Amino acid sequence: MPHATHPPSPGLQALIFCGPGLSLNTFTSTPSTLPKCLLPVANRPMLWYPLDWCHRMGIYDITLVTPPDAAPPLEAALRSHPSLTSLSGPRPEVLAPKGLEMTSGTAELLRLGEVQRVIKGDFVVLSCDFVSEVDGSRVLQQWMSLNPALAAASSSRRKGGLAIYYPTYGGEGISSKRDETDFIATAPLSKPNVMPPMGSLRQEVEEVVMVMPTDTLNDTLNENKQALPIRQTLLAKHGNVKIRTKHRDAHVYFLPLWVKDFVARNEKFDSISEDVLGWWAKAGWQHGLAEKLGLDEVLAGKRSTEDEAGNGRSVEEEEEVDATALSSTKSAPAPVRQPPQAFATRVGNSAAPPSRPKLAVPPLLAYMQPVSPAQPLIRRIDTAAQLAFISLHIARLQPSDPSPLAHEHKIHPSASIGQQSRISHEDCLIAESVTIGIRCNIKESVVGANCEIGSNVRLTKCVLMDGVVVGDGVQMVGCIVGKRARVEGTSTAGSKSGVAEVEGAAVKGKGKGKQKATAQSGGEDDNKTKLTECEIAPFFVVEAGTEAKGETMKAFDTEGELGGDGEEDVGDEDDEE
Amino acid sequence: MAEQGGPAAQSKAVDESKVSAAELKKRAKADKQARRAAQKEQEGGPAEVAPATNGAHQEHLAQAQGVQQDQKGKVAHAKGLQQPKPSKQGGQEAKQDRGGPSQAQNIPLRSRAAPTAPSKELPKKDNTVVELLSHLYPIQRRPNLAGVSKDVHPAVLALGLQISTYEICGSSARCVAMLLAFKEAIQAYTTPRDTSLPRHLVSHHLSPQIDHLRSCRPLAESMGNAIRWLKKLIVELDPDKLEHEAKDFICEEIDRFVHERITVTDQAIAASARNQIRTGSVVLTYAKSAIVEKTVLQAHEQGTRFRVIVVDSRPLFEGKRLATSLMRAGLEVQYVPFSGLAHVVKDATLVLLGAHSMLSNGRLQSRVGTASIALQAHKADVPVIVCCESVKFSGKVALDSIVLNEIAPPEELLLSAVPEKPHTYPVGAATTAAVGKSAATGKDAPEDDEPAKLKTLHDWNSAANLRLLNPMYDITPAEYIRMVICEYGSVPPSSVPVVHRLANEGM
Repeated sequence: MPHATHPPSPGLQALIFCGPGLSLNTFTSTPSTLPKCLLPVANRPMLWYPLDWCHRMGIYDITLVTPPDAAPPLEAALRSHPSLTSLSGPRPEVLAPKGLEMTSGTAELLRLGEVQRVIKGDFVVLSCDFVSEVDGSRVLQQWMSLNPALAAASSSRRKGGLAIYYPTYGGEGISSKRDETDFIATAPLSKPNVMPPMGSLRQEVEEVVMVMPTDTLNDTLNENKQALPIRQTLLAKHGNVKIRTKHRDAHVYFLPLWVKDFVARNEKFDSISEDVLGWWAKAGWQHGLAEKLGLDEVLAGKRSTEDEAGNGRSVEEEEEVDATALSSTKSAPAPVRQPPQAFATRVGNSAAPPSRPKLAVPPLLAYMQPVSPAQPLIRRIDTAAQLAFISLHIARLQPSDPSPLAHEHKIHPSASIGQQSRISHEDCLIAESVTIGIRCNIKESVVGANCEIGSNVRLTKCVLMDGVVVGDGVQMVGCIVGKRARVEGTSTAGSKSGVAEVEGAAVKGKGKGKQKATAQSGGEDDNKTKLTECEIAPFFVVEAGTEAKGETMKAFDTEGELGGDGEEDVGDEDDEE
Repeated sequence: MAEQGGPAAQSKAVDESKVSAAELKKRAKADKQARRAAQKEQEGGPAEVAPATNGAHQEHLAQAQGVQQDQKGKVAHAKGLQQPKPSKQGGQEAKQDRGGPSQAQNIPLRSRAAPTAPSKELPKKDNTVVELLSHLYPIQRRPNLAGVSKDVHPAVLALGLQISTYEICGSSARCVAMLLAFKEAIQAYTTPRDTSLPRHLVSHHLSPQIDHLRSCRPLAESMGNAIRWLKKLIVELDPDKLEHEAKDFICEEIDRFVHERITVTDQAIAASARNQIRTGSVVLTYAKSAIVEKTVLQAHEQGTRFRVIVVDSRPLFEGKRLATSLMRAGLEVQYVPFSGLAHVVKDATLVLLGAHSMLSNGRLQSRVGTASIALQAHKADVPVIVCCESVKFSGKVALDSIVLNEIAPPEELLLSAVPEKPHTYPVGAATTAAVGKSAATGKDAPEDDEPAKLKTLHDWNSAANLRLLNPMYDITPAEYIRMVICEYGSVPPSSVPVVHRLANEGM
């Protein structure tokens, strides 16, 4: 999609973490050929979404951080994949730090020397599985305008950060109860000076005071007899704390430069979302925590790394004049007073520290997306279910929709569709060079590039990645089929004469439902492939006549893992046999 | 229009009883044309009318009635559209004839209402603007980053956002913030080949930055003075100077400017003004001025015991911030809304005001409402003292708040960003009566449904006879000002041009 105008550069650089995709392992088991970030989501590589999002807000300085073994396919894709090459602007850099393992935490990644060297100014950290219909510049705008005045300087150490959280419920067809969630406690920001204009996200920006993944929350709860201990100081500082447990971290962080040093100093930080943000949020109100984390030194500009050369002259940190103090919409902070020394204490020197001025920790803000079905989409695609949900959601978008994710062609002009095939235009997405046989019925599905679909195929709520071959007469509902997989149908010899029969059988099969399962063992003669809610790994060949529900079909694993809800059902059916 | 309307009317006269779909379409087309013509007339004004319409008119009128003044015809015609009075000339008869029979058809109100409604709105088509002050509206306030020039430096971009959200507000704060952002922008500048920094920097690099800031909010007088100074500084640079030296020099000069013209100046003014506050004084101030804040705080630090009354008003509530910081410093503060002004001005012994700008005729331009404060204080014989850095002095002259002012977006006057749930009339007698009536008559159902929604202030845009005005400043007459304290000393308002010449023109 062409960009109408180039927005001005916001002076940020983007780091996109292209991780291993553990929960999508059906499709990403071999990162050296198909890393997670290249998995197609609605016929575009996953990476396209964060890249496009960055471009839309004017960020062209993008670095993709990836484990070394995933780097070659990534670079190849950036050079050749039509969706990625059609993005305007310079091609993003690929950085594959040597020490990066598939299992490294995100903060660990940020601590690596190579990454530290790349970060030269304020930066945005994204994950490659981030999809958003919310215009990045609107979020960015909040980050920029809510930073302390005069912190515009790229080297300023008074800038705060901004994270994005989205609700995991309320979205129709996108949210599912099994989504991962985070625990976020926020305090409201001071009211805006005037009512923000329409469309401003200002009302939804809040200050984070506590954040942890739900797993950690559960651990804490278990340790404390199902109670969550909250420090008094939090309530002393923020009287109005809102706790959300159904929002999820979108893994998009607008971070100021000093965070780089903050992460480098604290070796024990493992993940950005949990440790960096968690401790930062706490340091805002917990006495002495900021000092413990070395924030005082970080904010004072003492570098622990050796990249002074990159920054040119050192900008004196304390500006002589502070526009915040001059501004008529800001009030001066309480003057620092020496505590009245009423009595001589016996404690002696140990009581000295309190006289130090309290460290002002820059605020950690969060855009909390409100819950409403009308809200634009923000999601992370890290499970197969999400992959399917998002793909189908994008497939439902019309080219005329204002959403930036909408495809130009619902059905690519180069696709050839056989006679009497029905494809529902409003909720399907057919990529280029797709061949579809005759009398197919495709509803609510995404068909990737170069797929070959035989005749009499029924696809409902399916996601077919690139180059999938589907044989004749296959019925699939809610399946996700990996790249170049093959789902065999009836032998092509069946031809025209068999068509009517198969059609009849299909209707019959529909009526009988369960009974069909009995045919599973001896189903070869029936020759009909019927898959429901299956995940099929790339290059996997599903033999003709297979009937399955809720299975994960992976190569080298003939048994197939039974997953989720389907487990019992399939088990039952087996028993019946 | 006449050509279009004519046949329609004629055919109607021929057979009134049945109207085909094509007929209806034709009529709608004619109506539309009429509307457009009316609009053209309103927009173009009496002097210049599109010749096509004009010609059509003349023809039409000639047909109907013979010779008629063009001007008059138009007026009459517009009136005819609005309220078809039968007491007019032939021109209207023809119109009537078009409107009349159609009324008998099954679209009675529509056809008449359609041309009238827009023509009523047309004179003030843009009812977001108050006519008298239309010259003051910013071209376009940018609410987001879209459409900003690519050349704008990130620091300036961020500053623009902070200025437009009033995170940075106040003349001197904006001026300082702008200069510091420019420092960043200048450091990021590289001179292209075949040109020199003094020649290129201002026009190609600095002006997009300035334009961006201007589009975020009109520039303050102090910003204008600072920009003039900066441009002069750059243009007068030695072209042979090395680029980085030149840039460093500019940045040092900016620092010096901020230091001399604002930081130290503020100190000097505060030191001088605080002597006006004596023990037992009651200082009244309005909104928030950094310099007044500093003066009051310094007087407090000196140990003078006095009281402060802070008067405040919507929509920015700057006085709240001042009251907060004075309170934190341990002062005795009384916070009063603007409506309580008359009540507290009796107690005051001194009025200290900040300034947006001091104009050359000795008038003070400051936050809207200041003039009333000064007037009240003047009437109560309380001295009014203005604290103002010379960088805010201006060569401009204004007698009222209409010529020089800034109009902020009217939405800022709204109390909440999200409109409260649209109220509908309680399902009481009114609605049921309306429903009953529309059910009975059948045809005016669409007309009756609409007023069921009660309009709130959020719908001000669609209310035809309501406009919001949100001016930022007003002008206080020089007679009400006892003294202006600037870094050149305490001067009467009449000396403003002298100080301006000394401070801003020689540099």
